[in-house]
Amino acid sequence: MESGVILVVDDEMSIRRALHTTLQKLGFKVVEAARGEEALSLVRTNPFDAVLLDINMPGMNGIDTCKNIRRLFSRIPILMLTVRDSEDDKVEALDAGADDYITKPFQLRELTARIRAAMRWTKAAAGPQEETASVLRVGDIELDPVRRTVKKASRSVHLTPKEFELTHQLMIYAGRPIPHSRLLNSVWGPEYGGELEYLRTFMHQLRRKLEDDPANPQYLLTDAHVGYRFVEKLDR
Amino acid sequence: MTSRLTMAIPLTEKRSWMLLLMQCAISCVGLAALTSLAFWLRFPIATVGFIYLLVVVVAALNYGIWQATFISLVAVSCLNYFFIPPVFSFVVADNRDWIAIVSFQVCALIVSRLSSREQKIARDANYQRIQMKKLYELSRGILLFDLPSPPGPQLAQLIRRTFSVDDVAIFDAGLARLDHEGTWTADEQQIARQAFLTDRNEDDTDIRTAQRVVRVGSTAVAAIAIRGEVDPLIANAIASLAAIAFERSRSFEKEARAESAKQAEQLRGAVLDALAHAFKTPLTVICTASSGLQEMGTLDQTEVELADLINQEAVNLNQLCTRLLQTAKLEASTVTLRAEPVILSKLVKEVVTQLEPALKGHPVELSIQERDTPLQGDRELLMMILTQYLDNAAKYSAPEAPINVAVRESDSELLLSVCNRGPLIQMQDRERVFERFYRGADARERIAGTGVGLSIVKKAAEAHQGHVWVVSGEEEGTTFFLSMPKLKVGGNKPWNLE
Repeated sequence: MESGVILVVDDEMSIRRALHTTLQKLGFKVVEAARGEEALSLVRTNPFDAVLLDINMPGMNGIDTCKNIRRLFSRIPILMLTVRDSEDDKVEALDAGADDYITKPFQLRELTARIRAAMRWTKAAAGPQEETASVLRVGDIELDPVRRTVKKASRSVHLTPKEFELTHQLMIYAGRPIPHSRLLNSVWGPEYGGELEYLRTFMHQLRRKLEDDPANPQYLLTDAHVGYRFVEKLDR
Repeated sequence: MTSRLTMAIPLTEKRSWMLLLMQCAISCVGLAALTSLAFWLRFPIATVGFIYLLVVVVAALNYGIWQATFISLVAVSCLNYFFIPPVFSFVVADNRDWIAIVSFQVCALIVSRLSSREQKIARDANYQRIQMKKLYELSRGILLFDLPSPPGPQLAQLIRRTFSVDDVAIFDAGLARLDHEGTWTADEQQIARQAFLTDRNEDDTDIRTAQRVVRVGSTAVAAIAIRGEVDPLIANAIASLAAIAFERSRSFEKEARAESAKQAEQLRGAVLDALAHAFKTPLTVICTASSGLQEMGTLDQTEVELADLINQEAVNLNQLCTRLLQTAKLEASTVTLRAEPVILSKLVKEVVTQLEPALKGHPVELSIQERDTPLQGDRELLMMILTQYLDNAAKYSAPEAPINVAVRESDSELLLSVCNRGPLIQMQDRERVFERFYRGADARERIAGTGVGLSIVKKAAEAHQGHVWVVSGEEEGTTFFLSMPKLKVGGNKPWNLE
């Protein structure tokens, strides 16, 4: 059984209704808002564990609503719902401060998994800055930020400094899509942002070192045109 | 020039004779009055001669050379009869008087000729000025035409009004219409169509009709027939101006057509976009509800299956929607290629690996002869093309039949081919399988599909300046091809940055 209070913001009544019914049945408490402005005033007065926010809304659109919510609360998990499978929208949503996005129509299992993940990052970020110091573990892969070592199935894997940085960045936010530009910025420096080929080459190398089958990655996933995502939990 | 212009102002025979006689009569009356006055006051011969000369000049200026010649003869007779001794007789006593008579006659003739010519020149100049003004009015009127409506009726009305002619008929070959202003009967109007069909310019002075073929460049586009007082040169000028009117109208029409095609295209894109989005909302609700039912875990086996069915079909419907939206975008060329250097052989391997489970046991045989030259392309679109080809190959061939994928490289292009052992695609279907919603007659009956996939492939290839086609035979199977231009070498960056 799930738990938590979720704010669903969508101008389509039928979508709000479907999400309300299903999420409630799964154990979440659901509050609805039909407009960005309404969502903003609800967020000001009530505590929420996550916000599901539609990008295309009349009046204040999802991106602006997201920016405004972020201005008030830096920690609240925000998931954007988009009907257009457009990469620009997704990148824009992530840049506006959303934690993740999901394309309509979606499977409920995927949605709840994303909600859970987003809520977990927030909790982790709320604690003391331990994530940077503690060992990160996903599936077989283990990364120790202090010793700067990476192990796969308890066997040490040699990574170059840049490869290590990249893996570290992705694993801190495991389960979350990181846009290309943010990865390039944080690993190579602020003057980088558009050099997708570097990233692609490095990801290729990393997959060869960390994946069982580099052509069919389990850990280092591609979010087409948006960025990369380290898998949060390995389904086996 | 002048003779042509005067020819353009003829009067009817009867009217001109009457007028001539009248003018001569008026001059004679004037002459008689002056003669009586001079005779009664006993003017000297020289004075009388000058007064007569004046009358001749006035006649020449007002009426013309023939009238003036006639008056001069009458005047000489009067001079001889009433004033040269012996009076009341045509006998001339003194030989010196002969000299006076002859010199008067010669002088009168010269003066009358000169003055009548002067007058004619002035009249011609005036006529020309008026015609120029009319042509100017015509050209100005043409510029004010209502361009969306056909030029024929407007032009006919304008010519008739400007040149005050009896009839104007215009045959517009482009619109195949005959427009007329005036009193001509339907049969008589056909003269314009005849002029166009025979391609002849004619001036018929008997029925006072001019016919002109209107040409834009060297192409005849229309013909004009005019009945009335119109000089051939003016008729030519009218035809030239009419050509401008027709050309303006045609180019406006062409522009308007291009504009409306563009608008229709935009509208179609917008409608498809809105439609696809309108479908996505209910699909989201269906998916959420059906997948939600499954998540709750309270259903029995049958209910789980039914919920799964709803969910699966909603997912399929969504895929169709997405594809339609994609073609709409590709067709409207609003899609922006995210072009980057792509190595085709790597991409092919990637797609084949990804697709292996979906190919349901069809072994894929790769044959790659490529020097790893990158091409400039959109990875997603290229992957989509390849996926579509592989999907089709698996769908249309016998279970477990192999699929051959080949990549070849020439100096200028890359060639990808996907071959299956499926049934023959009929000759007439080979071009059309790339059309939206078209499915071959055999495929319609046997295999489920929407007829959208290959149309997207074609659009995606065209967006890359590429080309797609299919070759099919009973023996060698069916092969779908994609050719793409290669990227100019030197465009890619060094990759290792460490």
